[in-house]
Amino acid sequence: MRPGSQATDGDIVRAVLAGDRERYARLVERYRDRYARYATRMLGSMDAAEDAVQDAFVRAYDQLAQCKEPDKFVGWFFLILRNRCFAERRRNRNSASLDAANEVAAADRADGGAENAESRRALQRALLELTPDQREVFVLKHVEGLSYGEIAERLSTSIPSLKMRMHRAYDTLREQLRDHT
Amino acid sequence: MSGHEFHPLVKQLLDGDITLADLPAELRAEGEEALQLLAGVERTDVTMPAVTWRVMATLERRRRRFLPWLLAPALAIAAALLLWLRPGSPPPSASLVTVRFVLVAPEARQVSLAGTFNQWNPQATPLIRAGNVWTATLTLPAGQHQYAFVVDGARWVPDPGAPAVDDGFGRRNSVLTL
Repeated sequence: MRPGSQATDGDIVRAVLAGDRERYARLVERYRDRYARYATRMLGSMDAAEDAVQDAFVRAYDQLAQCKEPDKFVGWFFLILRNRCFAERRRNRNSASLDAANEVAAADRADGGAENAESRRALQRALLELTPDQREVFVLKHVEGLSYGEIAERLSTSIPSLKMRMHRAYDTLREQLRDHT
Repeated sequence: MSGHEFHPLVKQLLDGDITLADLPAELRAEGEEALQLLAGVERTDVTMPAVTWRVMATLERRRRRFLPWLLAPALAIAAALLLWLRPGSPPPSASLVTVRFVLVAPEARQVSLAGTFNQWNPQATPLIRAGNVWTATLTLPAGQHQYAFVVDGARWVPDPGAPAVDDGFGRRNSVLTL
Protein backbone atom coordinates (compact mmCIF):
# COMPACT_ATOMS: atom_id res chain seq x y z
CA MET A 1 0.00 0.00 0.00
CA ARG A 2 1.22 3.47 -0.79
CA PRO A 3 1.99 5.45 2.35
CA GLY A 4 0.31 8.64 3.51
CA SER A 5 -1.02 11.10 1.00
CA GLN A 6 -0.06 8.94 -1.99
CA ALA A 7 -2.55 6.28 -0.98
CA THR A 8 -5.34 5.95 -3.53
CA ASP A 9 -8.98 6.01 -2.54
CA GLY A 10 -9.03 2.27 -3.15
CA ASP A 11 -6.05 1.74 -0.82
CA ILE A 12 -7.79 3.66 1.94
CA VAL A 13 -11.17 1.99 1.47
CA ARG A 14 -9.57 -1.43 1.65
CA ALA A 15 -7.57 -0.48 4.75
CA VAL A 16 -10.70 0.82 6.50
CA LEU A 17 -12.61 -2.33 5.63
CA ALA A 18 -9.72 -4.36 7.07
CA GLY A 19 -10.18 -2.54 10.38
CA ASP A 20 -8.00 0.56 10.12
CA ARG A 21 -10.86 2.86 10.99
CA GLU A 22 -8.72 5.95 11.52
CA ARG A 23 -7.68 5.96 7.88
CA TYR A 24 -11.21 7.02 6.97
CA ALA A 25 -10.30 10.53 8.15
CA ARG A 26 -8.03 10.84 5.10
CA LEU A 27 -10.95 10.22 2.75
CA VAL A 28 -13.05 12.76 4.60
CA GLU A 29 -10.29 15.37 4.39
CA ARG A 30 -9.76 14.62 0.73
CA TYR A 31 -13.36 15.19 -0.35
CA ARG A 32 -15.21 17.21 2.27
CA ASP A 33 -14.48 20.59 0.65
CA ARG A 34 -14.91 19.38 -2.92
CA TYR A 35 -18.60 18.87 -2.23
CA ALA A 36 -19.10 21.54 0.43
CA ARG A 37 -20.04 24.13 -2.15
CA TYR A 38 -22.45 21.79 -3.94
CA ALA A 39 -24.24 20.99 -0.67
CA THR A 40 -24.33 24.63 0.39
CA ARG A 41 -25.92 25.78 -2.85
CA MET A 42 -28.32 22.85 -2.90
CA LEU A 43 -29.55 23.41 0.64
CA GLY A 44 -29.24 27.18 0.81
CA SER A 45 -27.71 27.04 4.27
CA MET A 46 -24.14 26.41 5.32
CA ASP A 47 -25.23 24.79 8.58
CA ALA A 48 -27.56 22.40 6.80
CA ALA A 49 -24.86 21.68 4.22
CA GLU A 50 -22.29 20.87 6.88
CA ASP A 51 -24.74 18.49 8.55
CA ALA A 52 -25.47 16.87 5.19
CA VAL A 53 -21.81 16.39 4.30
CA GLN A 54 -21.08 14.97 7.75
CA ASP A 55 -24.04 12.63 7.59
CA ALA A 56 -23.13 11.49 4.08
CA PHE A 57 -19.62 10.55 5.20
CA VAL A 58 -21.00 8.60 8.17
CA ARG A 59 -23.46 6.79 5.89
CA ALA A 60 -20.68 6.07 3.41
CA TYR A 61 -18.63 4.55 6.24
CA ASP A 62 -21.55 2.36 7.28
CA GLN A 63 -22.03 1.15 3.71
CA LEU A 64 -18.37 1.02 2.73
CA ALA A 65 -18.45 -2.73 2.16
CA GLN A 66 -21.02 -2.03 -0.58
CA CYS A 67 -18.64 0.27 -2.48
CA LYS A 68 -18.01 -2.17 -5.31
CA GLU A 69 -15.26 -0.11 -6.92
CA PRO A 70 -13.14 1.34 -4.09
CA ASP A 71 -11.03 3.34 -6.55
CA LYS A 72 -14.21 5.17 -7.57
CA PHE A 73 -15.13 6.01 -3.99
CA VAL A 74 -15.68 9.68 -4.79
CA GLY A 75 -18.40 9.09 -7.40
CA TRP A 76 -20.13 6.65 -5.08
CA PHE A 77 -19.88 9.12 -2.20
CA PHE A 78 -21.33 11.91 -4.33
CA LEU A 79 -24.50 9.89 -4.91
CA ILE A 80 -24.90 9.36 -1.15
CA LEU A 81 -24.48 13.08 -0.52
CA ARG A 82 -26.89 13.88 -3.35
CA ASN A 83 -29.55 11.63 -1.86
CA ARG A 84 -29.00 13.24 1.51
CA CYS A 85 -29.39 16.74 0.03
CA PHE A 86 -32.57 15.77 -1.82
CA ALA A 87 -34.03 14.19 1.32
CA GLU A 88 -33.20 17.31 3.30
CA ARG A 89 -34.86 19.50 0.67
CA ARG A 90 -37.99 17.35 0.80
CA ARG A 91 -38.09 17.60 4.59
CA ASN A 92 -37.63 21.35 4.62
CA ARG A 93 -39.38 22.26 1.40
CA ASN A 94 -41.34 25.02 3.03
CA SER A 95 -38.84 26.17 5.56
CA ALA A 96 -35.95 27.31 3.41
CA SER A 97 -35.66 30.76 4.80
CA LEU A 98 -34.60 34.03 3.36
CA ASP A 99 -32.16 34.25 6.23
CA ALA A 100 -30.48 31.09 4.99
CA ALA A 101 -30.25 32.49 1.46
CA ASN A 102 -28.84 35.71 2.79
CA GLU A 103 -26.37 33.79 4.93
CA VAL A 104 -25.03 31.89 1.93
CA ALA A 105 -24.74 34.99 -0.21
CA ALA A 106 -23.36 37.17 2.57
CA ALA A 107 -20.76 34.72 3.77
CA ASP A 108 -19.06 34.69 0.40
CA ARG A 109 -19.30 38.24 -0.75
CA ALA A 110 -15.98 39.64 0.42
CA ASP A 111 -15.33 40.68 -3.16
CA GLY A 112 -17.59 42.98 -5.13
CA GLY A 113 -19.78 45.80 -4.03
CA ALA A 114 -23.25 46.17 -2.63
CA GLU A 115 -24.86 45.75 -6.04
CA ASN A 116 -23.13 42.42 -6.61
CA ALA A 117 -24.03 41.32 -3.11
CA GLU A 118 -27.67 42.14 -3.72
CA SER A 119 -27.75 40.26 -7.02
CA ARG A 120 -26.22 37.25 -5.28
CA ARG A 121 -28.79 37.37 -2.51
CA ALA A 122 -31.59 37.71 -5.05
CA LEU A 123 -30.33 34.75 -7.07
CA GLN A 124 -29.85 32.63 -3.95
CA ARG A 125 -33.42 33.36 -2.91
CA ALA A 126 -34.64 32.51 -6.41
CA LEU A 127 -32.66 29.25 -6.41
CA LEU A 128 -34.66 28.16 -3.38
CA GLU A 129 -37.78 28.26 -5.54
CA LEU A 130 -36.48 25.74 -8.07
CA THR A 131 -37.28 22.05 -7.82
CA PRO A 132 -34.34 20.01 -6.44
CA ASP A 133 -33.77 18.53 -9.91
CA GLN A 134 -33.64 21.95 -11.55
CA ARG A 135 -31.53 23.39 -8.81
CA GLU A 136 -29.03 20.56 -8.98
CA VAL A 137 -28.37 20.93 -12.67
CA PHE A 138 -28.05 24.71 -12.26
CA VAL A 139 -25.57 24.29 -9.38
CA LEU A 140 -23.51 21.65 -11.18
CA LYS A 141 -23.29 23.69 -14.38
CA HIS A 142 -23.08 27.28 -13.23
CA VAL A 143 -21.53 26.92 -9.77
CA GLU A 144 -19.37 23.82 -10.16
CA GLY A 145 -18.61 24.61 -13.80
CA LEU A 146 -19.32 21.14 -15.18
CA SER A 147 -20.37 20.59 -18.78
CA TYR A 148 -23.68 18.94 -19.63
CA GLY A 149 -21.71 15.84 -20.63
CA GLU A 150 -19.96 15.68 -17.26
CA ILE A 151 -23.22 16.18 -15.38
CA ALA A 152 -24.95 13.50 -17.45
CA GLU A 153 -22.18 11.05 -16.61
CA ARG A 154 -22.26 11.88 -12.93
CA LEU A 155 -26.02 11.57 -12.64
CA SER A 156 -26.42 8.73 -15.14
CA THR A 157 -28.90 10.67 -17.24
CA SER A 158 -29.14 12.15 -20.73
CA ILE A 159 -28.02 15.58 -21.92
CA PRO A 160 -31.44 16.45 -23.44
CA SER A 161 -33.10 15.68 -20.12
CA LEU A 162 -30.62 17.90 -18.29
CA LYS A 163 -31.13 20.73 -20.77
CA MET A 164 -34.88 20.51 -20.32
CA ARG A 165 -34.48 20.87 -16.55
CA MET A 166 -32.04 23.71 -16.95
CA HIS A 167 -34.15 25.66 -19.41
CA ARG A 168 -37.14 25.42 -17.08
CA ALA A 169 -34.87 26.62 -14.30
CA TYR A 170 -33.86 29.66 -16.36
CA ASP A 171 -37.50 30.60 -16.82
CA THR A 172 -38.33 30.11 -13.15
CA LEU A 173 -35.33 32.17 -12.08
CA ARG A 174 -36.31 34.95 -14.45
CA GLU A 175 -39.80 34.97 -13.03
CA GLN A 176 -38.56 34.93 -9.44
CA LEU A 177 -36.04 37.68 -10.03
CA ARG A 178 -38.61 39.87 -11.72
CA ASP A 179 -40.98 39.36 -8.81
CA HIS A 180 -38.27 40.39 -6.36
CA THR A 181 -37.39 43.59 -8.18
CA MET B 1 -44.36 31.78 -24.91
CA SER B 2 -45.18 33.66 -21.70
CA GLY B 3 -43.49 36.85 -20.68
CA HIS B 4 -41.32 35.00 -18.19
CA GLU B 5 -39.77 32.56 -20.58
CA PHE B 6 -36.44 33.27 -22.16
CA HIS B 7 -36.21 32.92 -25.92
CA PRO B 8 -34.60 29.58 -26.90
CA LEU B 9 -31.62 31.43 -28.35
CA VAL B 10 -31.16 33.25 -25.06
CA LYS B 11 -31.17 29.89 -23.27
CA GLN B 12 -28.41 28.81 -25.62
CA LEU B 13 -26.56 31.95 -24.59
CA LEU B 14 -26.96 31.00 -20.92
CA ASP B 15 -25.76 27.49 -21.71
CA GLY B 16 -22.62 28.99 -23.22
CA ASP B 17 -23.35 27.62 -26.69
CA ILE B 18 -23.45 31.06 -28.34
CA THR B 19 -22.32 34.60 -27.46
CA LEU B 20 -24.26 37.80 -27.08
CA ALA B 21 -23.00 38.89 -30.50
CA ASP B 22 -24.62 35.82 -32.04
CA LEU B 23 -28.08 36.98 -30.98
CA PRO B 24 -30.26 38.96 -33.39
CA ALA B 25 -30.50 42.60 -32.45
CA GLU B 26 -34.02 42.29 -31.09
CA LEU B 27 -32.89 39.70 -28.53
CA ARG B 28 -29.79 41.54 -27.27
CA ALA B 29 -31.58 43.22 -24.36
CA GLU B 30 -33.06 39.92 -23.25
CA GLY B 31 -29.62 38.36 -23.60
CA GLU B 32 -28.08 41.03 -21.40
CA GLU B 33 -30.78 40.48 -18.79
CA ALA B 34 -30.03 36.76 -18.86
CA LEU B 35 -26.30 37.29 -18.44
CA GLN B 36 -27.04 39.61 -15.53
CA LEU B 37 -28.81 36.68 -13.90
CA LEU B 38 -25.67 34.57 -14.14
CA ALA B 39 -23.61 37.43 -12.72
CA GLY B 40 -25.26 36.70 -9.39
CA VAL B 41 -23.94 33.14 -9.30
CA GLU B 42 -21.66 32.65 -6.31
CA ARG B 43 -18.73 30.39 -7.12
CA THR B 44 -16.51 31.01 -4.12
CA ASP B 45 -15.10 27.86 -2.56
CA VAL B 46 -16.69 26.65 0.65
CA THR B 47 -14.59 24.88 3.24
CA MET B 48 -15.78 22.72 6.11
CA PRO B 49 -12.73 21.94 8.22
CA ALA B 50 -14.83 20.77 11.18
CA VAL B 51 -16.42 17.98 9.18
CA THR B 52 -13.43 15.65 9.55
CA TRP B 53 -13.41 15.59 13.33
CA ARG B 54 -17.21 15.61 13.48
CA VAL B 55 -17.36 12.49 11.32
CA MET B 56 -14.61 10.72 13.24
CA ALA B 57 -16.13 11.75 16.58
CA THR B 58 -19.48 10.31 15.49
CA LEU B 59 -17.84 7.02 14.53
CA GLU B 60 -15.94 6.94 17.83
CA ARG B 61 -19.09 7.66 19.87
CA ARG B 62 -20.87 4.82 18.15
CA ARG B 63 -17.95 2.49 18.75
CA ARG B 64 -18.07 3.34 22.47
CA ARG B 65 -21.80 2.67 22.54
CA PHE B 66 -21.14 -0.60 20.80
CA LEU B 67 -18.55 -1.81 23.30
CA PRO B 68 -20.58 -1.79 26.55
CA TRP B 69 -23.09 -4.36 25.40
CA LEU B 70 -20.27 -6.33 24.00
CA LEU B 71 -18.43 -6.34 27.30
CA ALA B 72 -21.32 -6.36 29.77
CA PRO B 73 -21.11 -9.47 31.91
CA ALA B 74 -24.76 -10.33 31.31
CA LEU B 75 -24.13 -10.34 27.63
CA ALA B 76 -20.62 -11.59 27.73
CA ILE B 77 -21.56 -15.13 27.09
CA ALA B 78 -19.72 -14.19 23.95
CA ALA B 79 -16.80 -16.51 24.09
CA ALA B 80 -15.08 -19.09 22.09
CA LEU B 81 -16.64 -22.22 23.51
CA LEU B 82 -14.78 -25.38 23.06
CA LEU B 83 -17.01 -28.19 21.97
CA TRP B 84 -16.07 -31.62 20.92
CA LEU B 85 -17.75 -32.64 17.77
CA ARG B 86 -20.40 -35.29 18.50
CA PRO B 87 -19.62 -35.58 22.21
CA GLY B 88 -21.05 -39.07 22.49
CA SER B 89 -18.81 -40.48 19.81
CA PRO B 90 -15.12 -41.28 19.92
CA PRO B 91 -12.92 -38.15 19.94
CA PRO B 92 -11.84 -36.91 16.55
CA SER B 93 -8.32 -36.83 15.35
CA ALA B 94 -6.02 -35.48 18.03
CA SER B 95 -4.76 -32.84 15.60
CA LEU B 96 -8.18 -31.28 14.83
CA VAL B 97 -10.52 -29.60 17.26
CA THR B 98 -14.00 -28.24 16.64
CA VAL B 99 -14.59 -24.85 18.15
CA ARG B 100 -17.75 -22.85 18.44
CA PHE B 101 -17.36 -19.09 18.32
CA VAL B 102 -20.16 -17.04 19.86
CA LEU B 103 -20.77 -13.32 19.89
CA VAL B 104 -23.74 -11.46 21.30
CA ALA B 105 -24.36 -8.57 18.95
CA PRO B 106 -28.02 -7.53 18.83
CA GLU B 107 -27.39 -4.45 16.70
CA ALA B 108 -25.13 -6.11 14.16
CA ARG B 109 -26.28 -6.70 10.61
CA GLN B 110 -23.53 -9.17 9.87
CA VAL B 111 -20.68 -10.74 11.78
CA SER B 112 -17.76 -12.76 10.51
CA LEU B 113 -14.52 -14.21 11.80
CA ALA B 114 -11.09 -13.26 10.58
CA GLY B 115 -8.00 -14.95 11.90
CA THR B 116 -4.84 -16.86 11.27
CA PHE B 117 -6.93 -19.85 10.21
CA ASN B 118 -8.49 -18.00 7.24
CA GLN B 119 -5.69 -15.63 6.30
CA TRP B 120 -7.54 -12.78 8.10
CA ASN B 121 -10.12 -12.72 5.35
CA PRO B 122 -13.25 -11.06 6.78
CA GLN B 123 -15.44 -12.56 4.06
CA ALA B 124 -14.33 -16.16 4.58
CA THR B 125 -16.19 -17.15 7.74
CA PRO B 126 -19.60 -15.55 8.33
CA LEU B 127 -21.40 -16.22 11.61
CA ILE B 128 -25.03 -17.35 11.68
CA ARG B 129 -27.55 -15.31 13.60
CA ALA B 130 -30.02 -16.76 16.14
CA GLY B 131 -31.74 -13.87 17.86
CA ASN B 132 -29.04 -11.67 19.35
CA VAL B 133 -26.42 -14.39 19.21
CA TRP B 134 -24.08 -15.03 16.32
CA THR B 135 -22.25 -18.33 16.05
CA ALA B 136 -19.83 -20.22 13.84
CA THR B 137 -18.47 -23.68 14.34
CA LEU B 138 -15.07 -24.48 12.88
CA THR B 139 -12.75 -27.43 12.95
CA LEU B 140 -9.23 -26.16 13.45
CA PRO B 141 -5.81 -27.69 13.82
CA ALA B 142 -4.55 -27.99 17.37
CA GLY B 143 -2.25 -25.17 18.34
CA GLN B 144 -2.57 -21.45 18.86
CA HIS B 145 -4.81 -19.24 16.69
CA GLN B 146 -5.42 -15.50 16.69
CA TYR B 147 -8.67 -14.00 15.53
CA ALA B 148 -11.20 -11.17 15.82
CA PHE B 149 -14.87 -10.73 15.03
CA VAL B 150 -15.67 -8.40 12.13
CA VAL B 151 -18.97 -6.64 12.73
CA ASP B 152 -20.85 -5.12 9.79
CA GLY B 153 -17.81 -5.55 7.59
CA ALA B 154 -15.99 -2.71 9.27
CA ARG B 155 -15.49 -3.05 13.02
CA TRP B 156 -12.89 -5.48 14.23
CA VAL B 157 -13.76 -6.58 17.72
CA PRO B 158 -11.74 -8.92 19.95
CA ASP B 159 -13.60 -11.76 21.61
CA PRO B 160 -14.48 -10.52 25.12
CA GLY B 161 -14.41 -14.09 26.39
CA ALA B 162 -10.88 -14.91 25.26
CA PRO B 163 -7.39 -13.62 26.13
CA ALA B 164 -5.97 -11.09 23.72
CA VAL B 165 -2.58 -9.95 22.55
CA ASP B 166 -1.42 -6.76 20.88
CA ASP B 167 -1.21 -7.23 17.12
CA GLY B 168 1.69 -4.81 16.78
CA PHE B 169 -0.50 -2.21 15.05
CA GLY B 170 -2.35 -0.88 18.08
CA ARG B 171 -5.18 -3.38 18.01
CA ARG B 172 -5.98 -6.49 20.07
CA ASN B 173 -6.30 -9.97 18.67
CA SER B 174 -8.01 -12.74 20.59
CA VAL B 175 -6.00 -15.88 21.21
CA LEU B 176 -7.34 -19.41 21.15
CA THR B 177 -5.13 -22.30 22.17
CA LEU B 178 -6.31 -25.76 21.21
